[in-house]
Parts: sequence; C-alpha cells; structure tokens
Amino acid sequence: MKKKKNSSEVDRRAFLKNSSVAAFMAMMGGVELTAHGAADAPQPAGAEAPLTEIPTLPAVNLGVIGAGVWGRKIITTLTLLKNDSQFKNTEVVAICDHYAAWLNRAGALAPKAELFDDYKKLLAKPEVQAVVVATPTHQHRDIVLDALKAGKHVYCEAPLAHTIADAKDIARATQQAFKQVFQAGLQERSHPHRHFLWPFVRSGALGRNVLVRAQSHRKELWARTANTPERAAELNWRLQKAVSTGLMGEACIQRLDAVTWFLGGPRLGGRPNFVTGFSSVILQNAGPDVPDTVQCVFEFPEGANAGVRFLCDATLCNHFDTDYEMYYGTDSAILMQPGDERRESKAWMFKEDDAPLLGWEVYARKDVFGAETGVSLVANASKQQALTEKGAAANAPPAIEPLQYALQSFTANAGAVAAAAKDYAEDFGEADTPEFRAKLAETRKFSMTQFPAAGWEEGLEATVLAIKANEAALLKQRLELKNEFFEL
Amino acid sequence: MKKLSLATIGALALALVTLLAVRILNGPPQAVAAALPPAAPGQPGGPVPSTAAALTVEYRAQPTNTTVEIQGTSTFHDWEMKGTSIGGILDFPAGTVFDLSQATLPGLKDGSLPASGTASIAVRNIHSQVAVMPGVMDGVMQGAMKETNFPRIIYQVTALKLKTPHAAGQPFAFDATGNLAIAGVTNTVAFPVTIEPLDKGKIVVRGAASLKMTDYKVPPPAPNIAGLGIMKCGDEVKILFNWTLMQVPPKQP
Repeated sequence: MKKKKNSSEVDRRAFLKNSSVAAFMAMMGGVELTAHGAADAPQPAGAEAPLTEIPTLPAVNLGVIGAGVWGRKIITTLTLLKNDSQFKNTEVVAICDHYAAWLNRAGALAPKAELFDDYKKLLAKPEVQAVVVATPTHQHRDIVLDALKAGKHVYCEAPLAHTIADAKDIARATQQAFKQVFQAGLQERSHPHRHFLWPFVRSGALGRNVLVRAQSHRKELWARTANTPERAAELNWRLQKAVSTGLMGEACIQRLDAVTWFLGGPRLGGRPNFVTGFSSVILQNAGPDVPDTVQCVFEFPEGANAGVRFLCDATLCNHFDTDYEMYYGTDSAILMQPGDERRESKAWMFKEDDAPLLGWEVYARKDVFGAETGVSLVANASKQQALTEKGAAANAPPAIEPLQYALQSFTANAGAVAAAAKDYAEDFGEADTPEFRAKLAETRKFSMTQFPAAGWEEGLEATVLAIKANEAALLKQRLELKNEFFEL
Repeated sequence: MKKLSLATIGALALALVTLLAVRILNGPPQAVAAALPPAAPGQPGGPVPSTAAALTVEYRAQPTNTTVEIQGTSTFHDWEMKGTSIGGILDFPAGTVFDLSQATLPGLKDGSLPASGTASIAVRNIHSQVAVMPGVMDGVMQGAMKETNFPRIIYQVTALKLKTPHAAGQPFAFDATGNLAIAGVTNTVAFPVTIEPLDKGKIVVRGAASLKMTDYKVPPPAPNIAGLGIMKCGDEVKILFNWTLMQVPPKQP
C-alpha cells in the first residue's frame, strides 16, 4: 500500500521532525500544536481550558506471547510507549510463556500484567485487545490463527513462519479477520527515516540501478545452555534444520524486506525471480547442522531491475560493519545503516563525478569514509546542523529505536480500527458486509498515513524470500522464485 | 371480547415498538430487529393503528452514500471536517410515500409530517481535511467536544413542517425542528431539510445547520502555531449533511 504513496505523504514524519515546521505547515495548510505556546496564550472567548498537547489515541491493552530475549525487549519497548502522551493509554496487561523463569522475569518489566503459562488462556481474556507474538518462528502459525479467531489484533514477528504454507495460512486468516489489524514485524516499514529515503531513491537519485549489497554480520553463538536437555532442545530451535530459517530468516529478513521494498516491491519489478545460495559451517556458531556463514544472490526479472543482482550475506563469525544496505546506481551509491539500540538510522549518498547536480547537496552535511565522502541523507541535512551537532552526540543511541516505531504503529492502527469497528457496528450492525470492510479499510489507510506499517503482504513477501534463500543456501543451488510462492 | 383483547395486544405492541425505536440509540439495529414482534401494528397481519400518530413506516440509516461536513473559519484559514457515517432511524405515519410527482404528502397533520427519529454521528469518525497531520486536528476537535464523555453528536427530530407549495419533481422541503446534543449540551434547533426518494426504498435527507460552538460550551480551539501565533477558530460553524436511509421492509406474517 505504501508503494503507491506520493512523496509528500511518505516523508512527512521525518521531514517534520527536523525541518522548519512552521513554514512547512503554513505552506500545507496545517498547524503544529506546541505545549508552551498554547499554555501561555490568552484564552479565546467561551474557552473552558486551553488545548495544550497532542490528544491521546484510543486505549489499547496488549498481551505479549513469548517472553524470551526478544519478547522481553518488546515488553520494555511497549512500556516506553507510555512516555509519549499520545500513547499514554497503552498498557501491557498480559504476558505468556510456558517457561516459568522467563515469565517471571518478564512480569517484573510490566508489573500490571497478568502472567499466563498457556497462550490460549491469555487469548481467552476479553480485556486483551491486541497481542504481540514473539515465540520461535515455527510456533507463530497456530498462535496467530488462534489470536485472530479470538478477535485480537496481531503483531507477528518476522519471519511469519518457517514454511511457505504456514505463512500463507497466516496471510489468509488475516483477510478473514477484517475488523482487526495484522502487522508483520518488519520494522523498517514503520521507520520515519526510511519513509524519508524511499521517495528520494524512487525518484531516481541512484540513476539506473546497478546492484545492491546487504549484510548482517555478527560474532555470536546461537547455542544457549539450559538446565535440562529438553529445555536445551526447546531453546535451541534456531539450530535445528527442520524448523530454523537459518541466517537468511533469523538475521537477514529485515534487509531482504527493505531492499526489495526500495527496489520497487512486487508491483514495480522489485520481486526477485531467482535465488542462488552458498553456505558454510565455519565455527559451528549455529550448531553443526545450520550454516553460520551464508551468501545469497537474488536476480530480478525483465523490467525496472533487469540485470540487477542483490547480494545478501550473513555470518556469525565476524561482526565487522554489522548491518547495512548498499545501493549502487549509475549516478550514485547510497549506504543505508539501519537503526538499532546502539545507533540512529542513517544514510549517505556517494555521487559519481558525472552525475547531475541535485542542488541541495552542496549545502548538505558530509561525512568522510576512508577515501570517499558521503552526503548525509537526513531531512534538513544542512551544514549548520552539522556545526551544532557534537561528534559524540552523532554516535549516541537513538532517542527512539526502530522497534518502538513499529509498536507505535501497531497500537495506533489497532486503536483506530477498533474504534471505527465499534462505531460502525453501533450504527449498521456487526455483519460482515462489503460496506463494513470498506469502512474499516478506509480507516486503516487513513491511520497508516500517520503510522505506516507492514501488513500481511509485506510479511508474506519477505518470509517467502527468507525461506527460499535459506533453502538455496543449504542446497548450494539456484532456485526459481515462482510467483505462486507469494500468492494466496 | 376477542376483538377487545386483540386491540389491547395491538396497543401493547405499539408501545413496545416505540420503546424499541428509542433503544436503537444504545444497541445495534439487528438486535432491535430481532426483538421486534412478528406482526407490528400497521404491517400486514398486525392490527390497524387507530390514530394518525402511529409512526410505522421506518427508515434506517445506510452505511453508504452519506456525508457530513463541518465548515468553520479561523484567523488563519477556513477549515473543514468530513465524515461518511450517520447512524439512526426515521419513523413516519403509515402510508407515507415520498412521491415527487404529487403536490403534497399523505399523512400530513396541520401542514406538518409527523415524524420521530434520531440521527447520531460518532465524533471520532469526522476527520479534518488538512493536508498535514490531520490526526492532530482530529484530536483537537475531539478534545474540544469532550469525545471521551460524549462520543456522539445526537439529533432528535420533533417536527417536520412541509414548505408549500411543493413543486412537482423537486425534493420535499421542510423546516425541521429538533434537539441537538453536542458535548453534553442539548439545544433546540431549527433548520431546513429536504427529503428525496431514491430507488429501492431509499431516501436521502439533505440539510444544513448553522450553530455556535459556545452554545454547546465547546471552546473554539485556538492552537498556537509555531512562528505564526494563535490560530483562533471562529465560533460559528456550519454542518451540511446528505443522509441516506432505507425503508425497513414490513415483516411478513
């Protein structure tokens, strides 16, 4: 859906963050509300109270299913949402994990949450309106289907599933649940910086696409220790070939999603048609069966990306340069560094000498990378800002992590759709009619202009790519990515 | 003896229908429909109502082809909010038919069409039309209208006086009087409306009403815009609506 947006819509949030807000708003006929200004302002006739802040979004009570390392990170992030007045009615009311030690640890993070050892008991609670599913990938399908059936909004971590069939089951179920929001855990889709970059890239700053490279490099051991062999087996699902989507799924899926999105997605020639993979077990950092070092090359069909190849590589044996995407075009190369808990989402453009002058880059902030100079791609990337920004501050952890943007979008969209569904049912009944679906689709679209997010289509697309890439890497073969893999 | 008891049942059924019509405000319509007695008065199989006041022709709001617009002014620029949902019902006397070719309407009483009914609009379904961050302006409006406590704008019609003469082919024009509840304050309001029949038993009610926010104790928002000062909204707003309803088919015995 986002692919169709025009540039003035997609880069709005990022633009507003750093730009001359007043001038822009005045131009567009909008207004910005400031807490200080309104409080100091004289009250108009008849006014009872000054309007001082952005009003609160509808309350959403959340449950988190899966309280492992990532599940606890999600709980912590959800509790942070409340610091923003818009989200102050967001509450984690339930947590589920069948492993008591993790459940208790998670419970300490959200003291108001009721704790469950069975997700079905959590889903039976009517006060839980929305759930975040952060269990091992191969357990997503049953939980998501049950959650949708129970009327909950669902945020499902990526990959959606470990098989294409399971991912399609999830996608189909979301279409039945038209009164609910389904979000795939593809964080870049909710990040304002990406929405600032997308129209920039799509409007031709690269020239003609040449190739793309992306990586996810870590030095880490996937194996975890446990008290009992049973618990160890359960804990180390990523090491089991039968259920693991390997490095392509568990480490690279955000890169696979972002790159195919920026190459145009399925509608604009950004869906690959072949994948070739290579893999090795070098340090057994993903166990003896699952490769700890993988390279995959994606090819694209005739069209906008004809002749373009996308090399995605991942390893658990060397951490150098961690995660990034590098887009090479005939006019420039663009380096995109995704944000995480340690660093802000950033991007730089490296221009070719014969590329046309865009104009603004003369005044933009520049950073030196070895022998190359990159033009910083942030809204309002002026020299003036570079002068005021301290070197240390530039490398400080981000104020808002990508996961937080994704969870903000989920809560905001779920709240908006739930409110619209309630209002509609009061007026015209609960029955599943084309009018009801159309009304909620309109609400969702409107909410997503402010709070963009990945839906089932993006989730399925990225999941299929990850599963097939993993398969190609294990087989060390070239596999065709048939359109039927992606279609319901 | 038998006839008398039938009439008693009829009167009871009438009272029940009236009660249910009021209840529609609080519950979904299908719940009301399910609770309706199998043979309501004035419908085939039911007793014939004895007085002209029996409002048995019921029109129910439709989810499509409805718009509501709120237009306002400010010291900065004019503003507008739009919605596409109005819920509710309108009841008319038995035999009411909106036939544009006729000079008048059946069922008129002293030049007025007896009618009862309610229109309700969820405040959060009305959206600002600004290009940038419309959600913020929606929030400003919801805050001003105390949406949390009063989620709906509710209008109850009490009188529909037909404007005469009615020109054949033109929609029927009325002066409508009713009670308008906004943000917990109810005022009696009068404004012109038209009713035009559409196909498949549908009608569209069109109208425009001007009102003052302060009459409903709604403070005209005056947000402070960075760098530009206070945008003070004008007290007066205009509400325009096109409301499509469909006649509820009489139940078969």
